[in-house]
Amino acid sequence: MPLFAKKHKIPLGIYIHVPFCRSKCQYCDFYSVTEKNDRLLDGYQDAVCTHIKEAGILAPDYVVDTIYFGGGTPSFFGADGMAAILTTIRKSFKVSSSAEISFEANPDSVSDRLLRRLRSEGFNRVSLGIQCDDDNILKKIGRPHNYAQAVSAVNRIRRFGFKNLSLDLMYGLPGQSLQDWEKTLANVLKLQPEHISCYGLKVEEGTPLYEYREFCNLADDDTQADMYLSAIEILGRHGYRQYEISNFCRKGNVSRHNLKYWNGDPYLGFGPNASSDFGGQRFTIIRDLEGYIRNMKTGKPVLQDVQTIAPRERAGEYLMMRLRTVSGIDPKEYEKKYLLPFAPLERNLIQCKERGLATKTFDGRWHLTPNGFLLSNSIISDLLLIQEQN
Amino acid sequence: MTDLSKIRNFSIIAHIDHGKSTLADRLLEECAAIDQREMEDQILDSMDLERERGITIKATAVQLTYQADDGEVYALNLIDTPGHVDFNYEVSRSLAACEGAVLVVDASQGVEAQTLANTFLATDAGLEVLPVINKIDLPSARPQEVKQEIEDIICVPAEDAPEISAKNGINIHSVLEMIVRDVPAPKGDRNAPLQALIFDSVYDSYRGVIVYTRIKEGTVRAGMDIKMMATGATYKVVEVGTMNPRGLTPRDALGAGEVGYITASIKTVADTQVGDTITSVENPATTPLPGYRPVQPMVFSGVYPADGAKYQDLREALEKLKLNDASFVYELESSIALGFGFRCGFLGLLHMEIIQERLEREYNLDLITTAPNVSYRVTKLDGTVLMVDNPLDYPDPMEIQLAEEPFVKVNLMAPQEYVGNIMDLATSRRGEFKDMVYLDANRVELHYEMPLNEIIYDFFDALKSRTRGYGSLDYELIGYRPSKLVKLDILLNGDIVDALSFILFADNAYPRARKICERLKENIPRAQFEIPVQAAIGGKIIARETIKALRKDVLAKCSVGDNTRKKKLLEKQKEGKKRMRTFGTVSVPSEAFMAVLKLDED
Repeated sequence: MPLFAKKHKIPLGIYIHVPFCRSKCQYCDFYSVTEKNDRLLDGYQDAVCTHIKEAGILAPDYVVDTIYFGGGTPSFFGADGMAAILTTIRKSFKVSSSAEISFEANPDSVSDRLLRRLRSEGFNRVSLGIQCDDDNILKKIGRPHNYAQAVSAVNRIRRFGFKNLSLDLMYGLPGQSLQDWEKTLANVLKLQPEHISCYGLKVEEGTPLYEYREFCNLADDDTQADMYLSAIEILGRHGYRQYEISNFCRKGNVSRHNLKYWNGDPYLGFGPNASSDFGGQRFTIIRDLEGYIRNMKTGKPVLQDVQTIAPRERAGEYLMMRLRTVSGIDPKEYEKKYLLPFAPLERNLIQCKERGLATKTFDGRWHLTPNGFLLSNSIISDLLLIQEQN
Repeated sequence: MTDLSKIRNFSIIAHIDHGKSTLADRLLEECAAIDQREMEDQILDSMDLERERGITIKATAVQLTYQADDGEVYALNLIDTPGHVDFNYEVSRSLAACEGAVLVVDASQGVEAQTLANTFLATDAGLEVLPVINKIDLPSARPQEVKQEIEDIICVPAEDAPEISAKNGINIHSVLEMIVRDVPAPKGDRNAPLQALIFDSVYDSYRGVIVYTRIKEGTVRAGMDIKMMATGATYKVVEVGTMNPRGLTPRDALGAGEVGYITASIKTVADTQVGDTITSVENPATTPLPGYRPVQPMVFSGVYPADGAKYQDLREALEKLKLNDASFVYELESSIALGFGFRCGFLGLLHMEIIQERLEREYNLDLITTAPNVSYRVTKLDGTVLMVDNPLDYPDPMEIQLAEEPFVKVNLMAPQEYVGNIMDLATSRRGEFKDMVYLDANRVELHYEMPLNEIIYDFFDALKSRTRGYGSLDYELIGYRPSKLVKLDILLNGDIVDALSFILFADNAYPRARKICERLKENIPRAQFEIPVQAAIGGKIIARETIKALRKDVLAKCSVGDNTRKKKLLEKQKEGKKRMRTFGTVSVPSEAFMAVLKLDED
């Protein structure tokens, strides 16, 4: 340990973007490639490891308490590569012994070998993308697995000793009715995951789904809203507490890593298109695997879009991110941290409360209600405008 | 100076689309005034807008040098006239600068309302009217019948009218020969006191105003002190000359009978009103030329920047446009809903659209315009008389003794099979039938008197659609008449949006109110709460719609790796809200205003 290192280290999250997939899902606009050859895989692994080593030197005052392999499909990339990257992280950073170390997986690529290896390397949380229980819909949206594979994957994940499992679900899928969605929830509850994420389908421009969105029987906004409210109700009844717009957990099993985004805590991202919030700056790596590999090898810049975040902007992010969570925003904290008046915001929040969209807790915090979450863009953009005008 | 006997001053008149500007181009070509290369179609219509709409908005003039078959060289002054009923006065002044008019009639369409109206204007001005049958290359051309129509309907000999195709350059030579032969040479005494008719003027940032003029009597030369007889303004002439297709050609002097330009360091076109007479300060004429009329706007509308911060930009743009167009007026107004803007007066609806389009295109402004209205005359109980051209100024009904609105005489012309349709339309617009005249075996002209307000929105379009494009229209103001008027207010979530208020005939209020509420419902985005849209007269609600509350507007996934992009989405949404106008608690996009304006387009 360096001589003058601080006694109390700052917690840090690390995100590894693994940009490999077996196939592209019809709705997905995350960065990934479906090409998988040794040159790319090795090149990627080398680039990420070099990058991690470089960054580690700059972060002696931090202790890593969450690591998250997302994608893409980390499980498709493979256990050896992930293990090598994790080892590099451990060598380059101080990693807390109680760190949450997660990886995303698809049911078709969680082999026994992968699970055994990753568990032994210290991975302790799995986020499994199963989306829904209807094989027809899974096929329609381009998922490379069926529901039986998902159930089998869950069983094997448990068998290899992972005690923290999250299941990703989607609602508003092509042809999916409210009843279909409730059936999916009922089935998934039988699998007893610690954590569930429910994401409403959003049709993003540039995805294949966008092109035929008119013709695939998508739920309208009102139906999606009903699906959302029904999820909150059903999950709540089964002991899953909502802690963010789309996230639910049992017994405090929140995603500590994702909470960092919502709380505005620092994190470093590696891999193409990963973003970071570190040292008062926010930066994103280029959205180009080949370019990332090449530039890391030749010492050229890999960042695009480096921004120093002004306090004023932090104040905006505070509203944007915190209002996604059930703990919401704290007026006293807001005023103290950003030296801005809360009263104009509160006036608007009171209107929201009258409309049943927000609640003020006994200790003065504000958070959105389920109906408020549904309108969070509209509410937050109003607040941002008010913030800007005061 | 050109000898009087070698000058021909003429105009080309036609119904819209009968080929006036194309013929002008061919005449220019035939006189080798410009070669093919330089021809940008229809050189006289110099604004993009004019070219796009195929109409002439501003008059222009050009001098052609033509060697006729008799061996003599003639100066032919072609004065192009605006081609729309909104600009009738301007047309009449251009015609007053000529001795003859070439009447272009489409060989398949035949005589139409504006053919008639323009011919009357020309004969009223004492012009020789020379018909030309255009578009004879079209398969549907029926030149003989059309000639008969011309003789029957407008009583002008047409037997020898040249049959031409301006588009394909057929028989253009015969038109030029006809002009030399049949347009009378101008008369005038070049030693008499100066009387020069202003028929147009344009603003040039280097020279100031360039006045287009026809010298009726006397002579004007550089250095002379001149006076505008109507406005009283005096100037020293800097330059005189003639307008040639390639630009202005300075000359020593312009004498009676000639058409040319004058510059005199004049700062604004408002000082050089169309129809005014220029005379000499030293040796003034005793009377001005007849026919001058000050500009009178007929249609009024509020013009606001869509982004309130662009108010100064709008002001500057209006000032610049005004430099070149004395016929529109504007004054500052403010609305609770829209902030600062201007109440503008226009000659007619087309004129209004043109100004608005120029503001948007040439000055890059996004505008919100309020519903156009006419100027109402209101007599209050205490006897004071108000001219109300802004709904916000409309007095409380309790204070009104008499409300009057302007009426026009409308001439509608169409093949007789559409008479029923036209009558339905005119009746639905409160038209009072006067009479109907058979112009020939199957063509009729109907005369109505109706409120100007009823034709300023979309009457022309409605007429076209009900007559398959064959109907045509012409109108003139005949004065004010008592009327049952009410002011209709629109409320969003209980608050009156002043910019949406307007004055209308009481019996039309209910259907109109219902339609406006429907349109607003379609165009205002759903909000976090339910929004009632109401229409009211006085305090009484007469129509209502409800905009349901928005249920879902959320970024479901905002986590690993992509929160930066999602954050930009929210920033964008915030910026979008800035551009909306907030009325009380309701945000209204500018499209909603547009939708209300275009109410009658169904």
